[in-house]
Amino acid sequence: MAIAHLDHFTYSYPGATGAALLDVSARIDSGLTVVTGASGSGKSTFLRVFNGLVPHFHGGRVSGTATVAGLDVLATPTRVLARNAGFVFQDPELQTVYATVDREVAFGLENAAIPQREIGARVNDALHEVGIEHLAGRAVRTLSGGERQRVALASALAVRPRLVVLDEPTSQLDPDGAELVLAAARRATGDGRAVIVSEHRLRRLMPAANSLLVVDRGRVTEADPAAWRPSTAMSAPRLRAPGGEAWGVSRATVGFGGVPVLESAELAGRAGEVVALAGPNGGGKTTLLRLIAGLAAPMSGTVTRPPGRIAYLPQNPVAVLHRPSVRQEVQFTIDRAGGQAGERPERILNMLGIAGLADRYPRDLSSGERQRAAIAAVLPGAPQLVLLDEPTRGMDLASRSALIAIVADLRDRGAAVVIATHDEDLQAALADRVVDVAHGKVTERAPHAMPA
Amino acid sequence: MPHPLHRRWRMRAETNHLNARAVAAWSAACLVIVLATTNPVYKTLVLAAALAALVAGAGFSRTRRLFIAAGLVAAFAVVLNFVSAHLGATVLFTLPEQLPAIGGPYTLEALAYGATGGVTVAAAILAAAPFSLLLASDEVMDALPAALSRTGAALASALNLVPAVGATFVQVSEAQRMRGWRPRGPRSWAEVAVPVVLTSVESSIQLAESMEARGFGSGPRTHMSPVRMSSRDWVLVVAAASAVALFVISIAAGWAGPWAPYPQLTAPPLDARPLLACVLLFTPALQWRSRT
Repeated sequence: MAIAHLDHFTYSYPGATGAALLDVSARIDSGLTVVTGASGSGKSTFLRVFNGLVPHFHGGRVSGTATVAGLDVLATPTRVLARNAGFVFQDPELQTVYATVDREVAFGLENAAIPQREIGARVNDALHEVGIEHLAGRAVRTLSGGERQRVALASALAVRPRLVVLDEPTSQLDPDGAELVLAAARRATGDGRAVIVSEHRLRRLMPAANSLLVVDRGRVTEADPAAWRPSTAMSAPRLRAPGGEAWGVSRATVGFGGVPVLESAELAGRAGEVVALAGPNGGGKTTLLRLIAGLAAPMSGTVTRPPGRIAYLPQNPVAVLHRPSVRQEVQFTIDRAGGQAGERPERILNMLGIAGLADRYPRDLSSGERQRAAIAAVLPGAPQLVLLDEPTRGMDLASRSALIAIVADLRDRGAAVVIATHDEDLQAALADRVVDVAHGKVTERAPHAMPA
Repeated sequence: MPHPLHRRWRMRAETNHLNARAVAAWSAACLVIVLATTNPVYKTLVLAAALAALVAGAGFSRTRRLFIAAGLVAAFAVVLNFVSAHLGATVLFTLPEQLPAIGGPYTLEALAYGATGGVTVAAAILAAAPFSLLLASDEVMDALPAALSRTGAALASALNLVPAVGATFVQVSEAQRMRGWRPRGPRSWAEVAVPVVLTSVESSIQLAESMEARGFGSGPRTHMSPVRMSSRDWVLVVAAASAVALFVISIAAGWAGPWAPYPQLTAPPLDARPLLACVLLFTPALQWRSRT
């Protein structure tokens, strides 16, 4: 018997002209179901049906039926469905209620009015199931992103639901953190439970998948997980050799409140060269990027930058987005950069594949679309130095390919590029050099063959 | 056999754990006394008790910023009264009457009254500070009566978002600076303020969505942590209650009569009974150990 079932389910957000989900029929059995699809295709909306957030929390128009653990989703409030369908969201910071790990994991149990004498054991079991017993009692704010996501998964499992849904749980994690979360998700399929994971990094998940659902413009189709093949490697052939040194960090120590995050950092980059900063969450990549950008002052040492515009994409794309439309976001930067001759927003929007979103309010977009809108908003104006902090966060394969093409174009026009990224495919496609930033140190990896 | 997590809580209770209900009783006692009296000596004693309790509980380094902030607020109250109240017999100096707002005699009485107000404000701030400095949001929540537990959970989650607003402000202002924005007058800050507010609202909605998805609001809640009062907590509650009772009786009996600096400054009257009530407020300074 299916744990969850959708039958001709159609859903539109309030005020939307088109349907976000269109005539979806799907069956979820025990085991691992992987959900994939392009950014903005409707994956998150689809997943939110299983705990009733769609339509109960978001409102909107619905037709068709949906059942989870025998409960009619449309007739059952989310807070009741929560006992049968656990949910892990993308952003680990925006799902934390309590300050300590064990209290956080207990939150759902308290809401379900589980007797106090049982809560401790169930919290311990859930922490054990995702391999983080050692974190019990720790302050949540002291955890890495990967640890926080495993706390979120433990919180979902503690209620012992029949279905657990994870919505791109690794989009903000380093490779090690992502692997631990996905391993925990794979293990959670025990006891006849169904686990649904929406992911762009399919390589780690597909070998264990029992089912594969592909979401495309609101429609959901089933595919054979055994037939899935990893995508071919992306590449961006260089058109011209790098120039002279464009930026440099010399014996720089930088930190917060007098506490160093990076000490005696030594690094430089050339015009037309792409340097990738790799390393674990919290290792100091963003701090180094902010130092190069001039947003963080060195406690000692020096930083040099090229004359001209610096483009900076922060880790959180919504920090950039506040204009009424995507087009106006891009135009804003073009105007501030002095209106490069003939530069029009449409060029970069087309390159990123979001020309169709030009008149949309940026904050109404999906996370992957927001990321592309933010990239489009910061890159115009012929920057001489391009600093990108986790630019592929939440992006599908097509979007990543578009980003690679744009960065390669900037590189070939002579811009120096620095990218802080966990994305190993992006590093392989673009980076002339990869630099590890961890434990307060900046260490260059064995050099790639540099172009002449 | 008790569960390991319960054992850990008991250990916490036996070492340096503070019970939020006991802390609330002490804070309330401080507030009642400092607001009930006009006598600067008693007010100063309450302020000293709050200072001592915070230093004992949190250590000086963690409380330094709070002390500076409370001092600045108190100083503002002093200056405001000194500048605006040109009453009293002891004139220290006089500014020309023609000067708008600040012209007139400056008196010792106005300074004394302002100082009394400043001490009141500082004492009230420091008496409430243990809730943010010494207690975690879940400890405060657990102390709430069952009828308020949903409000408490919502409050705890809102408190967890406060640091995120500060971080968002930094992110947005940096991102805007890198796109060419420069602060030029109050209106230019809309470029930063609007995205910060929007992001904060979105964060709140996402948190609300997460809480809903975890069953919040589905009915009566239980609590993971047993809320137990230790003997130390009871000592604090009894001390706080005794302080309030003794001080209220002192006011009613005329032992803690009113004091006013106008028209001429006089020494405030003192009595051993209200003094004893204030001294009882020093109990946590003896009980609490630094949680740093």
